[in-house]
Amino acid sequence: MLFAELVVQGVVQGAIYALIALGLTLVYGLLRILHVAHAALFTLGGYVGVLVTNHTGSLTLALGAAMLGVGVLGMVVYRLAYRPLLERPPFVALIASIGLFIAAEEVYRIVFGSFGLSFVSPPLQQQVDIGGGILLSQARIAVVAMAVGFLALLAWLSGHTRTGVAWRATVTDPKMAESCGIDIEKVRYLNFFIGSALAAAAGVMVALLNNLVEPTMGAVPSYKALAIIVLGGLGSVRGTLLAALALGVIESFGTVYAGHLLDRDALAFAFLIAVLMLRPQGLLRGA
Amino acid sequence: MHTFSRSALAAAAIALATGPFAVAGAQSIKIGFNVPLTGFAAADGNSALKGAELAVDQVNAAGGVNGRPLELVVYDDQASPKEAAPLAVKMITQDGIVAGISGSYSGSTRAASTIFQENATPYISAYAVHPDITRSGDYVFRTSFMGEVQGRAGAKLIGEMMGKRRVAMITLNNDFGKSLAAGFREAAPRFGIEIVSEYDYGIRDREFGPIVSKVKADAPQAIYASGYFFTAGPLVSQLRAAGVDVPVIGQEGYDGQKFIEIAGPAAEGVVITTSLDRDSSDPQARAFIDGFQKKAGYPADMVGASTHTAVLVMAQALKQAGPADKAKLRDAIAATTVDAATGRISFNALGEVKKDVEVQVVRDGNWHHYARISDPLLLAPPEK
Repeated sequence: MLFAELVVQGVVQGAIYALIALGLTLVYGLLRILHVAHAALFTLGGYVGVLVTNHTGSLTLALGAAMLGVGVLGMVVYRLAYRPLLERPPFVALIASIGLFIAAEEVYRIVFGSFGLSFVSPPLQQQVDIGGGILLSQARIAVVAMAVGFLALLAWLSGHTRTGVAWRATVTDPKMAESCGIDIEKVRYLNFFIGSALAAAAGVMVALLNNLVEPTMGAVPSYKALAIIVLGGLGSVRGTLLAALALGVIESFGTVYAGHLLDRDALAFAFLIAVLMLRPQGLLRGA
Repeated sequence: MHTFSRSALAAAAIALATGPFAVAGAQSIKIGFNVPLTGFAAADGNSALKGAELAVDQVNAAGGVNGRPLELVVYDDQASPKEAAPLAVKMITQDGIVAGISGSYSGSTRAASTIFQENATPYISAYAVHPDITRSGDYVFRTSFMGEVQGRAGAKLIGEMMGKRRVAMITLNNDFGKSLAAGFREAAPRFGIEIVSEYDYGIRDREFGPIVSKVKADAPQAIYASGYFFTAGPLVSQLRAAGVDVPVIGQEGYDGQKFIEIAGPAAEGVVITTSLDRDSSDPQARAFIDGFQKKAGYPADMVGASTHTAVLVMAQALKQAGPADKAKLRDAIAATTVDAATGRISFNALGEVKKDVEVQVVRDGNWHHYARISDPLLLAPPEK
């Protein structure tokens, strides 16, 4: 009983990780950039979600605004921060990304205040019995549903549309894709839009679960999402999904049964190290 | 407005800048103040600064320290030891401070306290809890409870005053949570408490699903959970959301309006040990609570009350000893007894505060009086 409940809690956490890490793995797959500032976009999603919900009373509207706004901002980040650095070694872009992330945290603090924001009346807090006496709030169920929905949509898009084919071709061999007439710049912008929009969705959902958005909300995702994409096999979407869920479940049991030895973050990295020793290429090989 | 001349504007600016100092003119007495104004602890840091500034305003409005105004020399330490240490050196060697106050967390306060001690400059920790801070030496004092002391008070509160026996502990795994847990565990048997389980979490955790599930299965009669408002808010709301409805007992880290805002209706009935009584009729406490609301624009909290108290203690000692001799100032702090918003403050041989513990409860969306624990034996801090 408790076992099932802990698995469910782990899956909820894993779904959040998956939404965040997916954008990161998309960017890495395409540009070989470790996009640390992705976590800042996740935080911004949370802020937009809380502010729009508090003003309009509509969570759907807030989610849409967060995904659209932050998605566009993701494209701006690519245009202003990464594109000028594409010819440089990858660590240059990484440093720019870290700088951007730290700056964003302080900008949020100045603009939105240091105490963080909360929903005036948090939506989706109703308890639902999902069977076996396990109570979950609607928000938790929505997180999982959203992760499954978005990822299924993404999988379908990449497999069944011309844009998806162009995207996969660009990931596999950018030069060849370009010479076949694919506008790889367009693919890159789209990539940043989708990844950032997913991170924003995760930000809104985390805000809902905790009823708190803080300037430093992205601190943990900033490095844990990196661990997840390495774990999943850099650049692999399916691997990322698998790694996110596995990590969520391992943390769930770990915090309860080994929390006095290792905290949640340490557990995540111990798992990462263990996997990399056995499978240096990650759980699934990169796309 | 455009008819104002430049010199009139300048005069207005000067008047504004010096306005709060009723005793402007005399040379100010400088007190160093390290506080986290950016980074993860910025929320507490900003309240801490407001509390300290309020105390300075009040002291200066009442004539300052023997005719001279107090002045805070404020530095942002980001709650980081590597920031706090050089700032302490700069305050002491270059800024001409006579003493320092920490409005920061334990890590940075510990780092700064050794430097203050080496330079024989008095230093008061307003709300950092680590036991080693006052052990830096005889120039270092603390106006808030050590974690162990407050943990013992928590055990008395749960075991004796609330009559709960089976307790689950949820412990924040930093110095604050660990020292609270140590004090609680030590005193628990004395009050008939059986600790049925204990879980640790990290300061960055906001998602407690697994721990909540396990606590629910443990079926305790009460939960002793350490943390700050930004961890306790999500924790309490997730506990209640999962149908865990036994009393949750916290500490001063919860103490602030933001906890109630985050946890919402789930905050109702949460009881904490702290040092500020919101329903106090004591004029000192009222002046602080009202003054803080006016200055900050939000209700008073524990960190603001703590830095306010620390500044008043310093001002009182400065009145007695004067700013010239730091050894005399240290002796004056050690010997002083001050009535402040957080109660009657005096120090033991180690520089640890001796005072009562206030117990507050959330009712109708606000903190209110629940009880006061006045037990000098139980609450005695270590002497060395």
